[in-house]
Amino acid sequence: MNLAGVIFSNLYDERFGVLTQNRTVASLPFGGRYRFVDFVLSNMSNSGITSVGIVTKHNYGSLMDHIGSSAEWDLNRKNGGVHLLAPFASGMSYVYQGKLEALFSAFPFLEKTPEDYVVLSDSTILCNINYEEALEAHIKSGKDVTVIVTRAKANPAVKHELVLTMQEGEVKDVTVDYPATADDTPVSMGMYIMEKKKILDVVRECVARGRHHLERDFIQDSFYSGKITLGVHEFTGHVIRNDSIATYFANNLDLITNEELRRDLFNRARPIYTKVRDEVPSFYSPQSTVADCLIADGCRIHGDLEKSVLFRDVYVGRGTVIKNSIIMQGTKIGEGCYIENAILDKNVTVSSGVKLIGAATAPCIVEKGETV
Amino acid sequence: MLRKSKECIAILLAGGQGSRLMVLTEDMAKPAVAFGGKYRIIDFPLSNCVNSGIDTVGILTQYQPLELNAYVGTGRPWGLNRNFGGAHILPPYAKSSKSEWYKGTANAVYQNIPFIENYDPEYVLILSGDHIYKMDYSKMLDFHKEKGSDCTIAVLEVPMEEASRFGIMNTNPDGSIYEFEEKPKNPKSNKASMGIYIFSWKVLREYLIRDEATEGSSNDFGKNVIPAILGDGGKVYAYPFEGYWKDVGTIKSLWEANMDLLDPASGLNLRDPKFKIYARNYAQPSSYIADGSKIVNSYVAEGCTIRGRVENSIISTACTIEEDVVIKGSVIMPNTTVKKGSVVKFSILGENVTIGRNVHIGGEKEYYPEDTWGIAVIGKNKTIADNTVVAPNEIL
Repeated sequence: MNLAGVIFSNLYDERFGVLTQNRTVASLPFGGRYRFVDFVLSNMSNSGITSVGIVTKHNYGSLMDHIGSSAEWDLNRKNGGVHLLAPFASGMSYVYQGKLEALFSAFPFLEKTPEDYVVLSDSTILCNINYEEALEAHIKSGKDVTVIVTRAKANPAVKHELVLTMQEGEVKDVTVDYPATADDTPVSMGMYIMEKKKILDVVRECVARGRHHLERDFIQDSFYSGKITLGVHEFTGHVIRNDSIATYFANNLDLITNEELRRDLFNRARPIYTKVRDEVPSFYSPQSTVADCLIADGCRIHGDLEKSVLFRDVYVGRGTVIKNSIIMQGTKIGEGCYIENAILDKNVTVSSGVKLIGAATAPCIVEKGETV
Repeated sequence: MLRKSKECIAILLAGGQGSRLMVLTEDMAKPAVAFGGKYRIIDFPLSNCVNSGIDTVGILTQYQPLELNAYVGTGRPWGLNRNFGGAHILPPYAKSSKSEWYKGTANAVYQNIPFIENYDPEYVLILSGDHIYKMDYSKMLDFHKEKGSDCTIAVLEVPMEEASRFGIMNTNPDGSIYEFEEKPKNPKSNKASMGIYIFSWKVLREYLIRDEATEGSSNDFGKNVIPAILGDGGKVYAYPFEGYWKDVGTIKSLWEANMDLLDPASGLNLRDPKFKIYARNYAQPSSYIADGSKIVNSYVAEGCTIRGRVENSIISTACTIEEDVVIKGSVIMPNTTVKKGSVVKFSILGENVTIGRNVHIGGEKEYYPEDTWGIAVIGKNKTIADNTVVAPNEIL
């Protein structure tokens, strides 16, 4: 496969508040047993990509721990494999401000890896995509940069990092950080394919001029000045966009109710891999009732659950009711609790009889390791 | 050339068919049979080894090894992908002078003397792939060293009335064995062999060579090698093990061992962060438990969709239980689907089975004459047509 992957792990950290206080956005838990990065990494692996660079900035301890030797994604390769690219590894004396500068951290990796093409990807947009098809389309189109897009409905409230205006199949205009103004507008999925040589040249030039915004300073600018040609590759499968705590919360719960989405995202032919924890299967006691939930392994359930996502190794005591909530790995909840519209981060302890109630649009969040 | 040695390596006898498991081992070896929702029988001895500090395991295969080979792979799920040592699948191989199948347990080890010598071990642990138990072999090895033993056999005290079903060790007060009786009619002791042996390698090597040269020997550890060591006045000790141990060589015992997971009093607890049982993982998503389902006192593994009622059962990885289904007292092996309206009671459904709609399989003991009741079994990859009735004890 003549395509290398670059994943940005720290972008948009600030949008997820306390959830990313101690982790990168790429290591945000999702869907019961995954982290955001599992999706893009599995997609790359399933597409035959064997060289992946993950650009990090700070807080990457949990990410390193999660990825380990990358054997779960079959990326523990003799040639290539996963490279965690920390800022200091690039000789940068300051922390980067945008994707272009972040890419600067990936220079040693990009220069060394033999592939001619590179796909850049954020880690907040989750889907099950075949990059091999996207690369074929890119090469066939002869364009300098291919933006992987989905179609968005007109919605002034939702801004996209890159919105494309098309005319007769050609890109006519690009807007940055802008909402879709008409239905069926192609919007970027934060995934770009281009020739590696091109990236190296552009990044070098932009960083030298103190410019760091990939979409505005490189794509939009170069397109306007005629330096590059832009193409689009439309992805038609399900796309999960996480751009705030509210969407993150809603997306987790949507995964429960949307069976078609689950089937598409967890396509059996193209599985999503994650770190193996060797938990036992989950145990459901005679007192438990579980309705419309996603349950990972290693849980012990004695209470009543409704429309919730339970990560691995969660304990729910007798008489406890949990509704519309996300309970992360290792959290223990005592007896007779009532929890609704909440996100309980990893290893939280909830004493018996506690009530935690949030709103569907603003869930109650308990930070990692806290005791309530 | 790297010259290193291992103090103790393990040899796992995984070549048997396990014919008493009937359709469940029709096309795969017994150690590859699914257990407890996400495990296979072989996960137990392999995890025990790793948890006991033994990182070199020769797995002797012979009968239908494909599944087992694929399952063990490089040994990575158990941390047995080592530069020196690790998991090795050892099938019988052609030799310049004499090529043959593994004739018996002792012959199988005899044929792999070169593998063992490669690690220049002081001790060799012999294991089988038909038991469910958690055991720290390092304690048994300490016992072996302490006693200056030639051969140490792990024993479990069984109820006296059941002793005649086992290989029984008759011991002196110091724990040394003076007699070994296979399934004695009138047992003198209740110390049953667990099929786990530690040998001092020098001694075992000598007796393996001698046994091979003995005309008419059935080349078996229990029948030939250990009695020979005993007969020569060798030091053979019984190592008392306390804890859960079960031979899962029959349909009934395999079902019982699965049910023991649901009984806190059984002593079988796989939930121990310090002594985990490792298994190969198949990248399945979380299980979806639908509105309208009811799960009572059961284990459900990953990747399942549960819409029906599940009671006192084990549902393995990637199973689908549709609406209006009742599963009771049963073991559902991986990747199996039970369609709408079917009832499965006191049964084992093999891997990759599809049960059609309104099928009725097995039943409660109390509604059947005692001699006709038993666990119903559906073999691997079978499809059962809509409206079929499968009686208790029936094996398809």
